[in-house]
Amino acid sequence: MTPSRILRLVLAVALAVAVIVFVWQRGTPQSETDSTPRTGGKLVATFRTEPTHFNRLVEARPVARLTALLTQATLLRVDPGTGALDPRLATEWTGTPDGLTWTITLRNGVRFSDGTAFTASDVLFTFQAIYDERVNSPLAPDLLVKGQPIQVRAIDDHHIVLTFPSPFGQGLAILDSVPILPRHKLQAALDSGTFRTAWSASSTVSDMAGMGPFMLQEYVPAQHLRFVRNPHFWHTDTKGQKLPYLDELEVQIVLEQNAELLRLQSGNSDLTNGGARAEDLAMLHDAETAGRVRLVDAGPATDVSTFWFNLTPGAKAVADKPWLAEEAFRRAISHAVNRQAIVDTVHLGSAAVVYGPVSPGHGDWFVPDLGATPFDLARARTLLTSIGLHDRNGDGVLDDASNRPVEFSLLTQRGHTERERTSALVREQLRQVGITVNVSPLDQNVVRARFESGDYETIYYGAQSNSTDPTTSRAFWQSGGQMHFWNPNQITPATEWEGRIDALMQQQAETMDRSERKRLFAEAQQLLADHVPALWFAAAHVTVPMSARVGGATPSVIQPPVLWNAEMLYVQGPRR
Amino acid sequence: MNHATAAQVIRRVVAALVLVLSVSTAAFTLARLAPGDETTADVMEGVDAETIARKRERLGLDRPFPVQLAHFTWDLLRLDLGESASYDRPVAALVAERGANTARLAFAALLLATLVGLPLGVVTGAYAGTWVARLLSTVSIAVLACPPLVAVLALLYIAATTGWMSVATGDLLVPSLALGLPVAATLERLQSQATQDAMASPDLLAAAARGIPPLRLVWVHAARQSLRPVLGVYGIVIGSLFSGSMAVEFATSWPGLGRLMLDAVQFSDVRLVAGCVFAGGICLAVGNLVADGLRTLVDPRVRDLV
Amino acid sequence: MRGAAGGLLVAFLLLAATAPWITSNSPERPFDDRAFAPPMRVHVRDAEGWHAPFVYRQQLVHRTRRIYVEDHVARVPLRWLSTGRLVSIDPAAGPLLWCGADALGRDLCARLVYGARLSLGVAVLGASGALLLGALLGGVAGATGGRLDTLIMTVADFVLVLPVVYLVMVLRATRPLVISPAEVFWLMATLFALAAWPDVARGVRAIVATERTRDYAAAARALGAGPWRVITQLLPAAYGFLRIEFVLLIPALLVAESTISFVGFGFEGATPSWGGLLKDSEALTAMYSAPWLLLPAAALFVVVLALQTVAGSRASLGASVVDTTAARR
Repeated sequence: MTPSRILRLVLAVALAVAVIVFVWQRGTPQSETDSTPRTGGKLVATFRTEPTHFNRLVEARPVARLTALLTQATLLRVDPGTGALDPRLATEWTGTPDGLTWTITLRNGVRFSDGTAFTASDVLFTFQAIYDERVNSPLAPDLLVKGQPIQVRAIDDHHIVLTFPSPFGQGLAILDSVPILPRHKLQAALDSGTFRTAWSASSTVSDMAGMGPFMLQEYVPAQHLRFVRNPHFWHTDTKGQKLPYLDELEVQIVLEQNAELLRLQSGNSDLTNGGARAEDLAMLHDAETAGRVRLVDAGPATDVSTFWFNLTPGAKAVADKPWLAEEAFRRAISHAVNRQAIVDTVHLGSAAVVYGPVSPGHGDWFVPDLGATPFDLARARTLLTSIGLHDRNGDGVLDDASNRPVEFSLLTQRGHTERERTSALVREQLRQVGITVNVSPLDQNVVRARFESGDYETIYYGAQSNSTDPTTSRAFWQSGGQMHFWNPNQITPATEWEGRIDALMQQQAETMDRSERKRLFAEAQQLLADHVPALWFAAAHVTVPMSARVGGATPSVIQPPVLWNAEMLYVQGPRR
Repeated sequence: MNHATAAQVIRRVVAALVLVLSVSTAAFTLARLAPGDETTADVMEGVDAETIARKRERLGLDRPFPVQLAHFTWDLLRLDLGESASYDRPVAALVAERGANTARLAFAALLLATLVGLPLGVVTGAYAGTWVARLLSTVSIAVLACPPLVAVLALLYIAATTGWMSVATGDLLVPSLALGLPVAATLERLQSQATQDAMASPDLLAAAARGIPPLRLVWVHAARQSLRPVLGVYGIVIGSLFSGSMAVEFATSWPGLGRLMLDAVQFSDVRLVAGCVFAGGICLAVGNLVADGLRTLVDPRVRDLV
Repeated sequence: MRGAAGGLLVAFLLLAATAPWITSNSPERPFDDRAFAPPMRVHVRDAEGWHAPFVYRQQLVHRTRRIYVEDHVARVPLRWLSTGRLVSIDPAAGPLLWCGADALGRDLCARLVYGARLSLGVAVLGASGALLLGALLGGVAGATGGRLDTLIMTVADFVLVLPVVYLVMVLRATRPLVISPAEVFWLMATLFALAAWPDVARGVRAIVATERTRDYAAAARALGAGPWRVITQLLPAAYGFLRIEFVLLIPALLVAESTISFVGFGFEGATPSWGGLLKDSEALTAMYSAPWLLLPAAALFVVVLALQTVAGSRASLGASVVDTTAARR
């Protein structure tokens, strides 16, 4: 047989096989599902980063937060939807009228996953570890009130007294981010100074214990984490059935977003890392129509990408561009940017227009139309002319008093499609008013490094905020804060209005009355809008995809959108 | 083993050592000079300045660069690759663990590429102009011209929608296809050209004149002669496969060296970068050794040129 | 076959050169309500009979699901040679999108043609540089052997193992933030040449090393030929290999262009580049619902195929040898 003939035969067979399999795979109908939770079953979720530590007190990254949510429990939890405090390990709490001292009753009969009883000493131990210098916990700064630690002492095994050193507006809500760790497992490590590496990715899984709905049974490095039901989990549902419903929860580590989506869409996984990208919604809608996937719109996200200017006084990078420091210039840009076009084109309509760092995802902290600058090219041009920028040589580009063209560079994150595309759109829009923007998409680390050293003109970037309470981003609002983007780490406020914002934020942090806090915070937001140190354009909607067999999900804009309440999840039917 | 060969071997080993040490040091230097360091990822993650400063101190980042370089070189000479700042584990352990995974994948891909690419290359080279050869060459070009991520994505897409292949992390089929097919295509193209050159050479004309049957001509005489240039680059192929392909490992979430390198770059984990490069250097040196060994096997004339 | 392929390459060059005239839109302009718009179809016939070629206006029906329909209310005739462009339509009817639009509603066709200018240029220049350098160094290594050979090959290995991404990052940090496309062009071509020569050198060295053992080489040496003369005698044996390496390098360098632009060393966002377009095609959405985004990959395939056909070896003497011996049986 000649090679040519062999090849012909092989091709024919391959073609036949392909046709058969193709026809066979199509049109497998989905069975109807009912909505009564059933105990049992396995859920597969995907996550995009791998864990390096399993100790939330040591590691701030999202994947550590995920494992803490699944395996550990907190004293109470803030409901992402209503903002109310739900009792978890704490059942009751009463406070003094000044809100400084709280007596907290701990739940009876709770055990860790290894059977050891939970007592107040575990709570004391957790706080001790957080404040320990050797641990260098990223949680510590948020738990310091004016630099002072919160005092916790035990009255007996099931009652503790928590004292704030000074008035603290957030109050007990802060306990939502503190997982209670087992003293009997980690006290020795804390004492000997090895707390940081006690529960690292290479530790034995059986050394860990927690009071969360699941236990970590297996971790295959860089591949997946397998969680199983914690038999000692204290929570039961309203009908008295023991939670969690799921027998097993597997979290696979899938780095690439397209691959992750493929797994969901083809039925290989049930949940993804977060919300879906706007461009993938078309495919997901089709999958929804076919009954394989369900899409839930959780509303606008709480993290909004920020476009900020380098306003550090005396910064060399902007020394030859004095007009960048003019408020009129920045306000002109705000008017020249067509935010609706950004929502329509970059987010395909799946976003909300915002004018500040607070989005509708922050609930009633958001004040609609606060600081709204309508899209108005004429107004933008007037503002620019008012600071002496005209097109002096008729080339369509504005020039300043020294006849230099008005142009600036914009750094953004390479690989982040939303930021790259928004930057490209903004460049085209600002060209309409004669401003040239040079967009430089750079690697994330390079952007951060340039921000740290102040070597940039403008940046379009952002930080992931994971709370529905925007006042917790103190590093952003406070002039001395590290994330006070346009001029971070100020020793004393550089401008009068930043000083006023500092005072307002300090005041609201110490006020216990929520409506008063909102009023003060709105004032701070207005100051930001008036002086335009930075611009915000759109808050993307968090559209959460999940396989149709997942039940009991309450998607929220907080990451992780579904697994934050993993104990209530159940599955119906087999995986396709 | 005579004098000359012993000298050759010693020279090769010394060269390999020099390579591995120098390239690791160069990688360390470049990574240190590049903007950002191990604490940059914490900037804008909400970690406060004090914690970052303490971390810098802990990792020795506040020492002047020449001091850091000296420490690194001294450690390297003692074969101590240091600790990874992002994983809080010794670099050597990480590299060994992930290297084993990459080795599995690379082996499968290499097997696939060699068994598919080389014979097909001989076919398209010897029978150039026939419709079979033209079809195969076109397919080969299509595979080559496809950007790696597009190819992997296409494979995953096919795998996921048809269910023919498993897309679970840790399953070898899709990653080895994604890694092996482009290499197969490259080998096919090189082998094809080399076979054509071999067929046109006076040696083969002489052999044909002697009456050697065409099949033997192609598969024994031409093949042996044409493997030379292919084996010349085979070392690089082996080296790059075993040091991990970043694109394929990223897209298929394969927990190998390529992915480790990506993580290291992302977190500016300089020690880990140097460690991965160290492993890469070893892979390349070994790959070259293997390729040269194969070459002497195939072509006795070059025995003295190893 | 070769003639057709050659003609294709020339046509490509012409297209790239006459970009502002050939394309129907600017490559950088994002059109409203045209994100992921599909290619427009040309019609010549409708219910009323035959007409000059026309298109229908694209209507966005559902923004998030990217559903576009043809608005059959009115015909939009194609205009030839007006407003300095080969083909265009009335601007009030929206943009003329032959190849559809990308994620930002930009004309993909225009981006492809404009992008070809810089990207193909960089790739060809870089590949040529790599071939020259690799042939030279590989030739010297193979012809001389011994210590020089080991030295050159160790340097080659060094370049291969070194993470180019960091080299690029450091390089980028030394240049000012805004660099002209011309500077990027030449720097990138040089970078490519310096990064790709080791592959070439290895193969050339292997070929030259065995050629050295041949009789004609020994004869040349016996006649007193100097080392350079010997090398030039031996190199032609590697021409076939060099031809193939050229064809292999072009797509690899184009992909590399997009990879190193990740660390900021690329053509700045406004300048369309094939590397960037290829990056856009690396999305699930391109395979599933916007297949026109894969056009750059298809175009690359065509270019490489044409290059291979043109640069490939002549029908070998060997093939005809096989045929005649087979015929004899």
